[in-house]
Amino acid sequence: MARHIAQRLMISLPVLLGVLMIGFLLLQVVPTDPATVVAGPSATKAEVEAIRQQMGLDRPLWVQFAGYLGRVLQLNLGRSMISNRPVVDEIALTFWPTVELMLACLIWAVPLGISLGTLAARRRGTTIDRAIMALSVMGVSVPVFWVGLILIQYVGGAGLLPFQGRNGPIWTADGLISIILPAVTLGAVFVGPVARMTRTSLLETLGADYVRTARAKGASDWRVTIRHALRNAMIPVVTLVGLQIGFLLGGSIVTETMFAWPGVGRMAVGAITSNDFPLAQGAILILAVGFMVVNLIVDVLYAYLDPRIARS
Amino acid sequence: MFAAVDGVSFVLAPGETLGIVGESGCGKSVTSLSIMRLVPNPPGRIAAGTITFEGRNLLELPESEMQAVRGDAISMIFQEPMTSLNPVQTVGQQIVEAVRLHRSVGATEARARALEMLRLVKIPSPETRLDEYPHQLSGGMRQRVMIAMALSCDPKILIADEPTTALDVTIQAQILDLLRDLRDRTGAAIMLITHDLGVVAEIAHRVVVMYAGRIVEEAPVDLLFSDPQHPYTLGLLGSIPRLGSDGDERLIAIKGVVPNPYALPPGCRFSPRCPLADAHCRSEAPELREIGRGHRTACWKAPLDQALAKAAAA
Repeated sequence: MARHIAQRLMISLPVLLGVLMIGFLLLQVVPTDPATVVAGPSATKAEVEAIRQQMGLDRPLWVQFAGYLGRVLQLNLGRSMISNRPVVDEIALTFWPTVELMLACLIWAVPLGISLGTLAARRRGTTIDRAIMALSVMGVSVPVFWVGLILIQYVGGAGLLPFQGRNGPIWTADGLISIILPAVTLGAVFVGPVARMTRTSLLETLGADYVRTARAKGASDWRVTIRHALRNAMIPVVTLVGLQIGFLLGGSIVTETMFAWPGVGRMAVGAITSNDFPLAQGAILILAVGFMVVNLIVDVLYAYLDPRIARS
Repeated sequence: MFAAVDGVSFVLAPGETLGIVGESGCGKSVTSLSIMRLVPNPPGRIAAGTITFEGRNLLELPESEMQAVRGDAISMIFQEPMTSLNPVQTVGQQIVEAVRLHRSVGATEARARALEMLRLVKIPSPETRLDEYPHQLSGGMRQRVMIAMALSCDPKILIADEPTTALDVTIQAQILDLLRDLRDRTGAAIMLITHDLGVVAEIAHRVVVMYAGRIVEEAPVDLLFSDPQHPYTLGLLGSIPRLGSDGDERLIAIKGVVPNPYALPPGCRFSPRCPLADAHCRSEAPELREIGRGHRTACWKAPLDQALAKAAAA
């Protein structure tokens, strides 16, 4: 297992390099000139030129990229042009709220999706099955922001739950209450696909020979489903959840902005609209690294779920 | 909708080994799955009949009581050892589960029992094998594990559905030896389902021959080989190559194919392929009747000696 993880980490390195390169180049193609932004609207041409030289923007791209790489390796992501604080500090501030939001979303949406999918598979063809599947189609079709707006209007507006910002870490009562609406919003689009994939995958494994063996041993229907079929059915579900977390990172930008959640997503939006290049670059980097870490976790989960994978 | 199995009736005595023989699709497996009440439903259904085990009709038991019978008094091994074990559980976990479903023993005791079973089925270094996954074992080993699991609660009946079909010939012989040995040691009755008359000759006491969902002949094993009384059995026997024949001799193939279960022929179901069939055979289905001690056949022409002589003369 340790070897499997080490291998996966090695494979991640080139991906990380690619991510850094794309993040760096993206901001090169943006029409705004960083030097002009730093210099301010009243600066003269000579002043802008001086700043450009000072920032190293006049040097060839690859030299700039090498310098950027070197700084990233030292965890120096530059300073925010707006707040003038180190980008690393800004990220450190926003990183945990985003992780909190992700976890709060996954912790209810994934188990619920798997449970609904399992129930639908076991009751295939019945009204329960059709109801769950209809619900899941609705869940997939409804955009995140719409769910958020409805919740803010009817739940937040009625004063039942807070919908403005994060009132503390998740382990405090205020923090826990303030995360409910964003987490429900973000998770709502998650339940449907997970339920659907669980149902499909489970129906397949329920027909497998080893399931028949388990029945022949005298195991009850639910025991057979949960102990034998479900774990074998989990690989596609884990894959789906891993991929969906990518969308979740995207979705969290919307959700965080709507609920004024002080996370990486909202920070990225702020940095991009205010032309704060180092901060935007840092936010992109951390989101990409986050996605890579999720993929790594998915890989490790594969090996845990199916022992054949770890050894191949 | 069609009847995969129709009018099949037989008896299995304690300690006896009954072979059920027939070609693919004749209803052997459905018969065995019916006894376990494991016919997939839908699409399958047991429409009528009784399966009496120790005075109880298994078909009338509530599902929970049937679960108590499965794997305990009656257990089953399957054709595909490669796919019949759960790939994500260790061999030990799977045997332990079988034990603990039916015996109120602790985890340690169940593990000890699992180890004992692996020794019984002669798996080398059973202690390490216990913690291995099915994909780490060969096909023969996996079938041994299946047998160990099936026998872990000392069943009275072991249903073996083509237990050697997916294995190499040498491994087949080992598994058959093992089954015979375990039967003699545990006194379990075995119901062996196979398409291979060689396997039946090795291990069975009595044989039921099935064709297109019906029993066509039933006899003690030596009688079936020495004096077959159904043209289908005769055909099956003729299709086995024999050691010592001079090689010029052609094997007898049964002409035609198994009838489509949606469109069964009228009369005897074997009549379209039977060299002896006449108008009577094609219009009226023969019932299974006793023609000798423990020897039953469903053929109008039985005893076949005269019919064969007549056919040879013609």
